[in-house]
Amino acid sequence: MDSITTAASVVAAGLAVGLGAIGPGIGQGTAAGGAVEGIARQPEAEGKIRGTLLLSFAFMESLTIYGLVVALVLLFANPFAG
Amino acid sequence: MLASPPLQPETNPPQGGEEGLQPGSEASPSNETTLDIKSSEQSHSAPPDDYAQLQRRFILATLIVSALVVAITALAFDLHIASSVLVGALAGVLYLRLLARSVGKLGNGSKSVSKIQLIVPVVLVISASRFPQLELLPAFLGFLLYKPALILQGLLEA
Repeated sequence: MDSITTAASVVAAGLAVGLGAIGPGIGQGTAAGGAVEGIARQPEAEGKIRGTLLLSFAFMESLTIYGLVVALVLLFANPFAG
Repeated sequence: MLASPPLQPETNPPQGGEEGLQPGSEASPSNETTLDIKSSEQSHSAPPDDYAQLQRRFILATLIVSALVVAITALAFDLHIASSVLVGALAGVLYLRLLARSVGKLGNGSKSVSKIQLIVPVVLVISASRFPQLELLPAFLGFLLYKPALILQGLLEA
C-alpha cells in the first residue's frame, strides 16, 4: 500500500467514525433525556419506556456501527491496498 | 392567669399529616410510614420485571431469527460462511444484551448510556479481518440480524 493510499485511508477512517457519530450521539442524548423525564413523571410506565428506549437505541446506534465498520475495514482490511 | 389550658402530652397523636413533636416519635416510626415504604418498593419493583421480560423476548427473537438464517445459509452456501454468520449472530446477541444492560442502568446509577457495547462490533470486524476462518461480510450481516428480529418482535407486539 503506497503512502497516499495509507494517508487517505486513515483520514477517511477518522472522518467515518467522527461524522457518523454526530447524528446518533445527538439523537441518543435527546432520547435518553426524554426517557428519564418520562420515567420521572410516570414511574409506573418505566418498563415500557425502557423497552422503547432500548428499541430506539438499537436502531440509532447501528448508524454509528456502520461508520465504525467502514473505518475498521479501511484500516485493517483495505480493499484499495493493492 | 393563662386563658389556654396547660400543654399536656397527647396520648392519641394525629393519624395523618403532621406528626407531633414527641420525644419518642423519631425513634419509632408509625405503621403508616412503613406501609408507604413497602408500597413504593412494590411500585418500583414491578417495571424492571416488565423490562426484563422484554429483554428476554428480544434476545429470544434474535436467537430464533439467527438460527433460521444460519440454517438457510448452510443450505444455500457452505458451512464456512454459515459459521461466520453464526459468530456474527452471537456477537449481535451479546451486543443487544450489553445495550439492554446499559439502558437498564440509565437513570438508576448513571446519567448517560455507556458505550461499552460498541466493543463487540469492533472485536468482530478486527477478528474477521485477522482470522481466515471468518468472512467479513457474512459475519457483519450476521451481527445485524438483531435488527430484523427487533422489527419482527415489535410487529408481533403491535
